[in-house]
Amino acid sequence: MSFFLVENLTKKFGGLIANNNISMEVEKGEIRGVIGPNGAGKTTFFNLVSGFYRPTSGKVSFKGNTISGLSTNKIARLGAVRTFQRAALFTDFTVLENVSIAQHMNTNSSLLNAIFGHDNHREAESLERAEEIIEFLGMQQERDTMADNLSHGLQRQLGVAMALATEPELLMLDEPVAGMNSGEKAVMVGMIQKIRDKWGVTVLLVEHDMRTVMNLCEKITVLDFGQKLAEGSPEEIRSNPKVIEAYLGADDSVT
Amino acid sequence: MGVDTIVQTFTNALVLGSIYAMVAVGLAIAFGVMQMANFAHGELFMAGSYVVFTLYTLVGIPFLIAVILAFPIVAAIGMVFERLIFRPTRGNVLAGFMATAGAGFILQVLVGQQWGVGLMRSIQTPYPGSTEILGAAISYQRLLIFPATVVMVSGLWYFLTRVKHGKALRACAQDPEAAVLQGISLNKMTSLAMLLSGGFAGVGGALMAPIIPVTPYMGHTFAVTAFIIVIVGGMASIEGAVIAAFILGFIHTIVTTMYDSVTATMVGVFFMALVLIVKPTGLMGRVKV
Repeated sequence: MSFFLVENLTKKFGGLIANNNISMEVEKGEIRGVIGPNGAGKTTFFNLVSGFYRPTSGKVSFKGNTISGLSTNKIARLGAVRTFQRAALFTDFTVLENVSIAQHMNTNSSLLNAIFGHDNHREAESLERAEEIIEFLGMQQERDTMADNLSHGLQRQLGVAMALATEPELLMLDEPVAGMNSGEKAVMVGMIQKIRDKWGVTVLLVEHDMRTVMNLCEKITVLDFGQKLAEGSPEEIRSNPKVIEAYLGADDSVT
Repeated sequence: MGVDTIVQTFTNALVLGSIYAMVAVGLAIAFGVMQMANFAHGELFMAGSYVVFTLYTLVGIPFLIAVILAFPIVAAIGMVFERLIFRPTRGNVLAGFMATAGAGFILQVLVGQQWGVGLMRSIQTPYPGSTEILGAAISYQRLLIFPATVVMVSGLWYFLTRVKHGKALRACAQDPEAAVLQGISLNKMTSLAMLLSGGFAGVGGALMAPIIPVTPYMGHTFAVTAFIIVIVGGMASIEGAVIAAFILGFIHTIVTTMYDSVTATMVGVFFMALVLIVKPTGLMGRVKV
């Protein structure tokens, strides 16, 4: 059983084939990057594997469960959680409140339970977990800051912290360093590495920023025109003529 | 204007503001979580009044118990609305508007068929008599409404800020996508929102039943005022709704005392326009990025 498996994934929007027959496999504990030039279908791919879009054909499975077509909170409950490019967080909550809101994934509390069942033990547990994550990511200083007042970089960090609060085995990051300055990028890269190294969380990321991907990922999948173009280590990708062609164009006269 | 008139007006305003708060808070919760306006909200209020009419006047259950029972009964109607209307039309504002407005009419007709349209049902007040404060006569029935609102709104505030599922509800109102990622079930939360929304409207209607004429169409004026309040307070803001409810309560009562109720409604709407000119997001509203 593969940890995370994408099989012959295709997505059509009307006549446009955004993703065409893409297959890939991510092993447990890996940091995998998905890159591609503008319009290559990265975002569609990301939305497909995280359950946001239903594929036209093909399937995505996580730990043996087919997750394509499942609702996002069900996928999150299985242990695969995504982040957004935009800061998807609760602006009226403090950092601590944001991280402690995550529901316990294994509980299926009923509505009546939700209103009357005030489970102190469980609440204490999620608060403890939130404190641990904040400390782990080095955000103690911002613990009681309203999310609204954080800088862009810190809001993105908070997004990762919130994703971790759901205790995922697979973390899917949508352009984690988009719009960041180089200092913020370095912090985010360090954070992602630490999450994998210390907590053993598998990471799948879609990213524009070439340097970040090359530094961070052990294995890279390249998409172009909705198809898988290449896959391999950063060195292999860097020297792959097809990739260079996709990024720079085939015509020599361009340079 | 004598002291007694001032005290009388002040108390009346407090009572009216309380009822407005109870009705508007429910509307604000529903709007916050579902981003959709419930045009049948007034009919939920009406349903609350009919719960009291049926259980207290017809069956003979004690008034207070009938009021308390109005919460689960009307909450259940709210949850049925959620399941049959809001969930299928989620994200489609126009369909939601038509479906909720239609549901309001259906509820009116159902109630009319069961209990009659023509006659107004007047419900005998369970607490006859009044107390005199500085020369102003205030009936016990009205006096009950203010503490009831304080208890219920504080309870709601506690639930929303201290209890995990209350926080999850606020989280959904702030960013539904992010909430879903945290494993919060949107369906469960919209259901919970309509439970609270219906329950509050129901209790509001139940408490008002002995004071105002009970008809299938009684919810309309309250719903319109509730919408004005929610707009003035800032859509989806609970605090804003409570503050605006009392402001509108005072405006309506004072202007009615000095002029008449039609002028009062006009002044109320003018006040809304003024707030929107100065602060388009409402008193406590925030611009969503």
